Amino acid sequence: MKVRESEYLKLKKPILKKLLDKLLARYEYASIFANDSKSTNYRVSKTGTNISEDGTLSERGFCVKVYDNGRAAEYSFSAIEEDTVDAVFDEITKRLDTLGKTLPEGVTAFGFDGIEDEKRCLNESTEYEVDPEEKGDNNIIDLLTRISEKGRAYDEKIIDCSVAFSYQKYSKMFLSRNKDLTQNVMWSCGYIVAMAKDGEEIQNGYKPVSMLGGIEVLDILESKLEDACKTAIELLSAEPMIPGEYDCICEPDVTGMIVHEAFGHGVEMDMFVKDRAQAQEFIGKQVASELITMHDGACTIPQVATYFFDDEGVVAHDTVIIEKGILKTGICDAQSAMHLGVAGTGNGRRQDTTRKAYTRMTNTIFEAGTSKVEDMIASVKYGFLLCQASSGMEDPKNWGIQLMVDIAREIKDGKLTGKIFSPIVLTGYVPDLLKSISMISDSIEAGGTGYCGKGYKEWVKVSDGGPYIKARIRLG
Amino acid sequence: MKEQILASLKRLHIEEYIINITSYQSAQMFFVKKSLDCKRAENTITYNVNVYRTFDKDGKEMKGNSSVYVYNGMTEEEIDASLSRAYLAASFVCNPAYDLMECTENKFITMESDLFNHTLEECCEKTSEALFAEDRKEDVFINSAEVFAYERNVEIISSTGIDSGYAQRWISGEFVVQCKEPQDVETYKDFRYNELDCESLKSKVRKTLEYTLERAKATEAPKAGKYRVIISDSYVNDVFSYYSGRAQAGYIYAGYSTFEVGQNVQATNAEGEVAEVKGDKVSMTLVPTEPLSDEGIWQRELELLDNGVLKAYYGGLRFSRYLGIEPTGFFGCVNVAPGTMSVEDMKKEPYLWVVNFSDFQLDDFTGHFGGEIRLAFLYDGEKVTPVTGGSINGSIIDSQTNMHFSKEIQKSADFVGPYAMCFEDVSVAGV
Repeated sequence: MKVRESEYLKLKKPILKKLLDKLLARYEYASIFANDSKSTNYRVSKTGTNISEDGTLSERGFCVKVYDNGRAAEYSFSAIEEDTVDAVFDEITKRLDTLGKTLPEGVTAFGFDGIEDEKRCLNESTEYEVDPEEKGDNNIIDLLTRISEKGRAYDEKIIDCSVAFSYQKYSKMFLSRNKDLTQNVMWSCGYIVAMAKDGEEIQNGYKPVSMLGGIEVLDILESKLEDACKTAIELLSAEPMIPGEYDCICEPDVTGMIVHEAFGHGVEMDMFVKDRAQAQEFIGKQVASELITMHDGACTIPQVATYFFDDEGVVAHDTVIIEKGILKTGICDAQSAMHLGVAGTGNGRRQDTTRKAYTRMTNTIFEAGTSKVEDMIASVKYGFLLCQASSGMEDPKNWGIQLMVDIAREIKDGKLTGKIFSPIVLTGYVPDLLKSISMISDSIEAGGTGYCGKGYKEWVKVSDGGPYIKARIRLG
Repeated sequence: MKEQILASLKRLHIEEYIINITSYQSAQMFFVKKSLDCKRAENTITYNVNVYRTFDKDGKEMKGNSSVYVYNGMTEEEIDASLSRAYLAASFVCNPAYDLMECTENKFITMESDLFNHTLEECCEKTSEALFAEDRKEDVFINSAEVFAYERNVEIISSTGIDSGYAQRWISGEFVVQCKEPQDVETYKDFRYNELDCESLKSKVRKTLEYTLERAKATEAPKAGKYRVIISDSYVNDVFSYYSGRAQAGYIYAGYSTFEVGQNVQATNAEGEVAEVKGDKVSMTLVPTEPLSDEGIWQRELELLDNGVLKAYYGGLRFSRYLGIEPTGFFGCVNVAPGTMSVEDMKKEPYLWVVNFSDFQLDDFTGHFGGEIRLAFLYDGEKVTPVTGGSINGSIIDSQTNMHFSKEIQKSADFVGPYAMCFEDVSVAGV
């Protein structure tokens, strides 16, 4: 079934068009981005049960963007009625006219020439099988409770098993002189965190699931329970890593974190505008092994960051970033595209209507290769299978890697020994790591239970993934 | 809208609730190099309604809750539908019953700040001016920056008679400093002040410019091995989150933490045994950054640790009620007593002083801390060399009996405490 359009936005559309007309009479360019989004989180653990709307992902709000003599300005608001259009217009012009009159010494206001506004109409929806609202809160909580209780009974070392489900259903509308766009999207995700304790030490096993769609995502969550519990218990006996450079096989979630953190952030082209990304000097050059082809795009794969147009009204793309090891292009938002004189790639995303749009990743993956996972492991004389990526930090300027992984499983003479090490910090220089990739498995897995920030804020939903990869990596 | 929500709650016979009304005004400026790239203003309001339902299950009294957002422009029918769905959902949330916060005193507070003496636009412009005031060099400069001036008005209304609130203002933002020669490097810093603290911001920018210049000279990573590691600035605050994390009522109730009030938690090792604390002892106080929690708790300072001994648990309503302690709410600021050593004393023995990580993290479950080194100063007993690359990988549980804090202190909106701290024998993954 297709996700239905928001009745609220339908109702507001003629009012927003009136405001847009007034803005277009005052400014050379004006657009209005509107969002009606509902997201609910469900979580069951030993400590209790929770059902709450997500404060970050739920909103009804509007964002006006204008160019005044080529200078970009935005105004966010949460209420407009037929009889308040004039008042909202007055407030927008007053606030935006006042701000920035005094600039720091040596700083000027940047102005663009000729703002483009391509003609486009669109109204699209994603599909789902079962709407969480129709499934009912009681059935969702019953299922999560059953999994959580089963996890807690798995072993005496398991002190808790937290099981969660969340979804977001949103309608977004973008109106400008030439654009009239509407999209209606729903994604869902869930996870299990099994926690094991020994003395003062607590470890966890984490298993996520996510998809573009509805509550059908939970059909696969329960099958991951045993794995989550086993991992948490195993980690209690993990040894600290002996720092060094090793042959490593990365599971798809670790590959995904390398794709996203180590390389993806470096090709966000707002960083090119600021001269903050080394990648801009490498366009057309080899940055990875010839085995590597990398994509990012809201229509690359159906996942949690799939949409039809971005938050600046640019239609979604599937961008090939690396093709057979050669860096082809980056991804960008509309204003960065104007700065750089290139076409937008549909990657302008906002946390919500109160935030500015930045260049953001969507669904970011490495393509599959031809190797079998067992052959990849068999090819390692001494090294590690890296599993359960936990966090990572980008470094577009220096292409330095900082990824945290929970588990390194020892491989000796092509076989897993059963010995595990934790925690693991992956460091190094991104092109060195990507060029060292010597084998890639024949299928990909992608997921998106987490959020991506820009620095330490501006959270948006993303997915990442890829195949198993074999590479030479510095571990600590 | 507030009246409409209250009327709907009455119509639906929802007897227990907390309404949280939050409005934001802001002025925002975004700079790229020496240009204002975009400016923004905001005027928004949100209405969050948390409904509670008490019921019996298997002879036990339970209380469930569920929260929803209600929006401007919603009709009476829409509000009723949203709140009744939340009320139904609350009946599936089987948590042991507990009492909501009683009303002790109703008042509205405007938190003291000189930011209220100016418009938000002026606050944003004056902060931008301070930010760029130190940016006078050609070889090292501000690459880009974001400056925000916020006003937040919060009103909490509950079924127990609470109708209180507060107004606060703050400025926040981030900036990136770049140095192109001898190698092209950058440093990211963020800031938040509750006053128009132009001097602190200028000092932060000045130090960041200096460190970035040093980083541009650093080419080598430290050799892998064990080091006496010094960390400073905001990374010190991150380390103390181990103690505040594990003293939360939610962690205690769940058994995630074995911290006990009266226990010397700093002296307790991974096996639960008590060791001698050879270094500085931790004394810390939690300080609220908001006067009223979203559950209607009036917040006060709380002494958490005295010389390594846990003085209290803290937390939100539900887990505090379960543990039988006074609900305190959560805290946005930590005060830690400084140590006895000066930074210069710390630097008398060989050290690796990490002044900038790409990201420093401490996991309060495992006690593990680590991060990739962007800039560190390595003193081998003879000379100081700037180094970059590699990562530190330590454990607060292993290190806590032998760590030292500086006499010098640092102040920000979320931390007042030692400027630097020092650990022995921390593993470094280098070349």
